[in-house]
Amino acid sequence: MLSIKNLTASVDDKPILNGLDLEVKPGEVHAIMGPNGSGKSTLAHILSGREGYEVTGGEVKYDGEDLLELPIEERAHKGVFLAMQYPVELPGVNNMNFLREALNAKRRAGGEDDMDAVTFMKLIREKAKLVQMDEKFLKRSVNVGFSGGEKKRNEILQMAILEPRLAILDETDSGLDIDALRIVSEGVNALRSADRAIILVTHYQRLLDYIEPDHVHVLAKGRIVRSGDKSLARELEERGYGWLEEDAA
Amino acid sequence: MSSKTVESRSWFEQLLQHEAPVTNEPAVVDEERLAARAAVQELPLPGRRQELWRYSSVSEIFEQSFEPATEDLDVELMAESGDWLLPDTQAYRLLFVNGRFAPALSNVQELPEGVRLGSLRTALHADAQSLAIWFGQAAKHDTHIFTALNTALMHDGLFIHLAAETKLDRPIEVMHLNLAPEKPLLIQPRNLVVLERGAQAELTERYRSSGDSHYFHNGVSEIVLEEGAELEHYRLQMESNKAYHLHQGFLAQGANSRYRNTTLALGGKWSRYDLQVRFKAEGADCETNGLYLVGEHQLTDQHLDVLHDTPHNSGRHNYKGIAYSSGKAVFDGRILVAKDAQKTDAHLSNKNLLLSRRAEVDTKPQLEIYADDVQCSHGTTVGQLDPQQRFYLQSRGLDADTARKMLCIGFASEVLESIKREAIRDYTLSRMQGALDNVIEKLNEQ
Repeated sequence: MLSIKNLTASVDDKPILNGLDLEVKPGEVHAIMGPNGSGKSTLAHILSGREGYEVTGGEVKYDGEDLLELPIEERAHKGVFLAMQYPVELPGVNNMNFLREALNAKRRAGGEDDMDAVTFMKLIREKAKLVQMDEKFLKRSVNVGFSGGEKKRNEILQMAILEPRLAILDETDSGLDIDALRIVSEGVNALRSADRAIILVTHYQRLLDYIEPDHVHVLAKGRIVRSGDKSLARELEERGYGWLEEDAA
Repeated sequence: MSSKTVESRSWFEQLLQHEAPVTNEPAVVDEERLAARAAVQELPLPGRRQELWRYSSVSEIFEQSFEPATEDLDVELMAESGDWLLPDTQAYRLLFVNGRFAPALSNVQELPEGVRLGSLRTALHADAQSLAIWFGQAAKHDTHIFTALNTALMHDGLFIHLAAETKLDRPIEVMHLNLAPEKPLLIQPRNLVVLERGAQAELTERYRSSGDSHYFHNGVSEIVLEEGAELEHYRLQMESNKAYHLHQGFLAQGANSRYRNTTLALGGKWSRYDLQVRFKAEGADCETNGLYLVGEHQLTDQHLDVLHDTPHNSGRHNYKGIAYSSGKAVFDGRILVAKDAQKTDAHLSNKNLLLSRRAEVDTKPQLEIYADDVQCSHGTTVGQLDPQQRFYLQSRGLDADTARKMLCIGFASEVLESIKREAIRDYTLSRMQGALDNVIEKLNEQ
């Protein structure tokens, strides 16, 4: 589904990714771990199309198509979703309208009609329950006045409604207390399916207690220096990143 | 005296010569007119050196000649064209064409006792003496030359009078339609709204024009709220790309009265709304909200002048604007709290969004405080759309245009939501969305 080969990228002429390879198949959950500054978020941002990153080499294929050539919104239409580390506040933009517009934009791109209001209301109520979000948050401006946990839940709600094929969760666990972490994780787990792949970008092993990955990769200095199963995450918890960074040097 | 000043004085004098012979005018009106004529010849001419006109140049207006609108137009005919219909069928409806009341297309039957709705001209002819205590009182003809011009040539306009304790259960919707398909016209509605003690009403006024009507609208509204009266007032202005629109509102608030206003300026070549607020006693509350959208070769200007010279009055004033292409927006808001106006609670805010590099905003919020026990604040911002917000929307599948539009509506929503009645709010939102579609199209052409 996603095939990254020898990806190099820089920000303001400073190299961040230095030949990254990653293969993700439908149904898989990959965790990408690594110390601060290793390039984890850069990878997530490049996949979603955020400006400010210069891809200097390598390729990213999504279903055989050059992902990096696609405009941001087309990536979304084709099922790529980035749950952001710092969800943006949109004052005056009603959360429910925003969700409906997003869903219908995707439906239209796929040749479907807009979802009728009644069906949409049913859908959104059902999905809000999944992330235990009070309906009052649907009537408010997107993320405005939301706590850190509420913002993250809102990201997972969007994901649940848009049903992406490839979901990238960028530090979704950061700033969450244990209850919020559990709710968010349950939301993510409910979305696991045979045709959907999930990439978890995280600094800590903690999230992986709740969302069990099939593969764990360690990113250091812009490259994947070690891959393994979930036991690798435990090892990192015990030993830190130092021993792997030395390997990367 | 420069030659330019002479030219603009003669611009006014030429208009005064046009006055149609009027017979049987009530003495009150006659006196006002005569005094106003004299004032037009003496009052200072508007020019960029005056603070009041520094950012909105009137020279463009003086370069053109306008003839006062005198004919009553065939309103039946234009009823079939254009979307002048008002959104709420429950409302009392009044149509004014070029400042003149068009009773055939209005609906002011079955008025409750104590309510007068219709033509100011008719009201003055019927009962000038009792109107004299309000007419020309809030809008003094000897202060602004354009007020004097309006008074000198006044013909007709909206008249609303609610007797004490009269509470209207249906809203009033007024369409001011300006039509000048052939020659450039001077259109001068003169409106008088009086709510006596404890009276309540809701008023929506729309200023529209057909096609590319070319005119100078020089309107004056006097709004008098006596003790405990409450007025909810919406003002939507959206006119042709050849329309010059100047309107001066004069609001006089009595004790414990309440005024809520939302003003939208969405179109015209040059449009300016001046609102002057005066508190006559204590305990009154005034809330004004404004939204303007201005683009290629357009200018829009909001002037607000609030004088707190009596204690215990409150005011909240929130204005937002969006400028694109070579559009120019002006905001000038002044709140003056005099020495004796203790316990004044006054807040003024102006926020602007610039969508193009060529767009311009001149904003000047001012707070002058001479009392020492008050709560006042003012603030202003000028900014651009946030690229992070745009990315967020696009990453959820919205295209760049929809994302921009959504953020603009979001920016404006605070003002749109100050419109309490749903029919008017929806109508306004749809106008705003339509206008923004054009904006995005223009931006993409660049």
